[in-house]
Amino acid sequence: MKYILQKLGLFVLTLWAAVTLNFILPRLMPGTPADAAIAKLSQNGPVTEATRKAIEAQLGIPKGNIFEQYVSYLHQVVTLDFGTSYTFYPQSVSQLVSGALPYTIILVGVVTILAFVIGTLIGVAAAWKRGTWMDALPTLSGSFMSTFPYFWTALLLLFFLGYVLHVFPTTGAYSATTTPAFTGAFAVDALYHAILPAITILVTSLGGWILGMRNAMINTLGDDYVTFAEANGLKSRTVAIRYAARNAILPNLTGFGLALGGVVGGSVLVEQVFGYPGIGYLLFNAVIGQDYPLMQALFLMITVSVLVANFLVDILYGVLDPRTRK
Amino acid sequence: MRPTTTRRSAQREGVGPARRATEATPLRDEPRRSKPSGPRTRRARILTGVAGLAAAALVLTGCAVQVRSQPDPTIGADTMLINADHGNPQFDRNFNPYLANARTASKWMYEPLILTNPLDGEQTPWLASAVDQPDPKTIDFTIRKDVTWSDGEPFTADDVKFTFDLAKKFPPLDIKGIWQHIDSLEVEKGTGSGADAADHLIVHLKTDDVPAVGILGGVYIVSEHQWSKVKDPTTWRNPNPIGTGPFTLGNYSPLQYSMDKNENYWQADKIEIEHLILPATNSQLDTVARGYDWAYSYISDVSGTWGAASKSNQWWFPAAGVIGLTPNLTKAPFNDVDVRRGISLALDRDKIADSATEGNLTAAGQTGLILPNQEKWLNPDIPDGGLIKQDVDAALASFAKAGYTQKDGKLVDQSGKQLSFSILTANGYSDWLRAVQEAQRNLTAIGIDVKITAPQPAGYQQAIDNGKFDMAMGGMGNGDVYQAYNSLLSSDFYQPVGKSAQNNRERFKDPAVDKLLVELKSTIDEADQKPIVDQLQQVVYDHLPIIGMYYGGSWGLFSDAKFTGWPTEKDPYMIPQNYDSAPLGIFVRLKRVDK
Repeated sequence: MKYILQKLGLFVLTLWAAVTLNFILPRLMPGTPADAAIAKLSQNGPVTEATRKAIEAQLGIPKGNIFEQYVSYLHQVVTLDFGTSYTFYPQSVSQLVSGALPYTIILVGVVTILAFVIGTLIGVAAAWKRGTWMDALPTLSGSFMSTFPYFWTALLLLFFLGYVLHVFPTTGAYSATTTPAFTGAFAVDALYHAILPAITILVTSLGGWILGMRNAMINTLGDDYVTFAEANGLKSRTVAIRYAARNAILPNLTGFGLALGGVVGGSVLVEQVFGYPGIGYLLFNAVIGQDYPLMQALFLMITVSVLVANFLVDILYGVLDPRTRK
Repeated sequence: MRPTTTRRSAQREGVGPARRATEATPLRDEPRRSKPSGPRTRRARILTGVAGLAAAALVLTGCAVQVRSQPDPTIGADTMLINADHGNPQFDRNFNPYLANARTASKWMYEPLILTNPLDGEQTPWLASAVDQPDPKTIDFTIRKDVTWSDGEPFTADDVKFTFDLAKKFPPLDIKGIWQHIDSLEVEKGTGSGADAADHLIVHLKTDDVPAVGILGGVYIVSEHQWSKVKDPTTWRNPNPIGTGPFTLGNYSPLQYSMDKNENYWQADKIEIEHLILPATNSQLDTVARGYDWAYSYISDVSGTWGAASKSNQWWFPAAGVIGLTPNLTKAPFNDVDVRRGISLALDRDKIADSATEGNLTAAGQTGLILPNQEKWLNPDIPDGGLIKQDVDAALASFAKAGYTQKDGKLVDQSGKQLSFSILTANGYSDWLRAVQEAQRNLTAIGIDVKITAPQPAGYQQAIDNGKFDMAMGGMGNGDVYQAYNSLLSSDFYQPVGKSAQNNRERFKDPAVDKLLVELKSTIDEADQKPIVDQLQQVVYDHLPIIGMYYGGSWGLFSDAKFTGWPTEKDPYMIPQNYDSAPLGIFVRLKRVDK
């Protein structure tokens, strides 16, 4: 219990630091938020003082001194109301985020879980059959593939399977002629559009899980208790899964927790290449357009989910490994 | 006005600013404690080698693959596939033409009173059937009869007055700044029949203001019966637009929308296009591969990509602005005209133009005019149409007048300090960067120390607006000659360094020039305008407020497969851009091939 309380205290402290940093950083950037919006407008001609005032009023440019702003920011964070986006004016930030989140969570989330499960299982098999082709093949191809840059794999797949062979759609999360709805036909269509981006993320992230699991497991296989279990005549699968793998999975589990936390950040490059309407694409546009409200909300969301994932992994660790509780 | 045409193109070249990867990758830095045995490492090397070769082969074949245009067979011969709207990556259903993120096609549903060709400033009466200026302080728009809104309601002078008043009531909608010009409005109802039956909108201007015609004439006219019910039009997204234009909204989805011909359009007999399809395309590969009938994009190696994709593909890249170096006139030594002239004479403009535009556009003259579009304004006393040839000796002579001489290959002032400055450009605008690098080579060759600074576009914008630069890439020129010289030279836009200036960023100030501009502003007759424009050209030629280098282009890509009659060099009736109002002038000229 003391362990959990300790971790909880640390979590709250880190969360506060992250939220505060998120408040300070955009304010360190040169120019006021209104400048960005006015620079865009001024391409049509000179902007009058009256227009500037109107824009400031509309966009909800923060008023008051820095402490009052901080209080109202904290209020925003608690109520999850981040105002209006600049680049997507007049859409609200919460509208944009809730529109993009499902695509990212389904695509990146499912693929992250798949990659973890498949990668870990392959890693277990590779370590168990170490020295044979069953070890060499996944280890080598895994380390080879994990060195591929995401965008390069994405571009290659897109170009050959999409543009040259016309097997897969080239852009978007669903066909242009369909409208998102909870129907079977739409699900099939969305799935079809998700295949290429999913393969890209899977291919480039699988290697890390395989290698991590394999290396940790080879280490535990040399431990006495494994030899002891084998000497007792236990079935080899039992030894591999229940004894060796269970102990070896700890580092991979940490990585998995962090990866799950990072899912909400989307996959900027992959979403960019495939024109996938997720958080990564939104984040890219927010940064390009100097869209402070949107950036602030997205960064906060990403930070908080990583922190929460970290916290949960910490707790889980305590359950799995009694030594960390001291 | 900024040369937005060129900037759009640069942004679409796909050379985005540095992309940040925030992907969640599994931790890879865990120590690998297992010891690989000898044979396995060798096998690893062999395997890696084979895989590497395979990857190389893949890349090589990739280079050899020619992407061909693959039109969707379900799209009929009466339907135009047009790459004009860019989702981010999806569309927001926003058809309010005054909002920054409005759908492109909203500007084809809400028409202006006058359609202006940005290439040469040529004006065509549109929703106004005629425009008259009885005196420089008054504009008389004759409102076209027999125009109806797409819901069947008649279009009247009251709609026009309502639209102008709307911009006064909601300043954020006044994107053209019309209320800087208007004093009051007055509707004159037509009487009787024939020519007298038409309504008039009389605009009383604040001052003698001839150029106001083009500005007021360009406003998108909206309907009173729909918009008067809107509580806050500054955030209203107008999901079901009712316009006067040639098309109405058809099917809408976040990735694609279609437009159907408006059978009640006042020029319906001229519209042969039955439907438009606008997908939310973003990539250049899509532009080439999907069989577009009309696209607008700067494509590198256009003949090898767009041109090679289909036999019917063609393109036209007319000059739409002058790209040049903006010296900061508040700063020494750029406040010395001899230094500016020296820099100007040292530049090899043909090479700069060739490198920046890949040979698509040519070197620009020093008159502030865009040629050949504005040929009729050209001052005959200025040699070579204002084109300045590279002349190193003359450049050095000019620098000598300013007190700079060459010493050990360096251009130094009297105290022996080398002339040194930096040129500001924006990160990601690769055409600008190529031009700056070429200019840098020319200037370094005569002994000047030139650095290039390229912050992100927003940083560039802030620096140039606030006058925090030595020299900066920028533009001049406008199809409307008054706008061209006013935004370049008027001290109305002058701001001290540190305060943001929207025009005249070089910070030029000359009371005599201001007087010329006022004179031009109050002159209605073109023949009387000509001598004033001649003098303004001489000012730009002599004082080099911006050192012109090459023309920025407008990047029209067309296909003749289904529709013909696109604007060309021989018939430049409209700029080939497919945003803003310009397409209205092109839609009425296109003929169907299968008819």
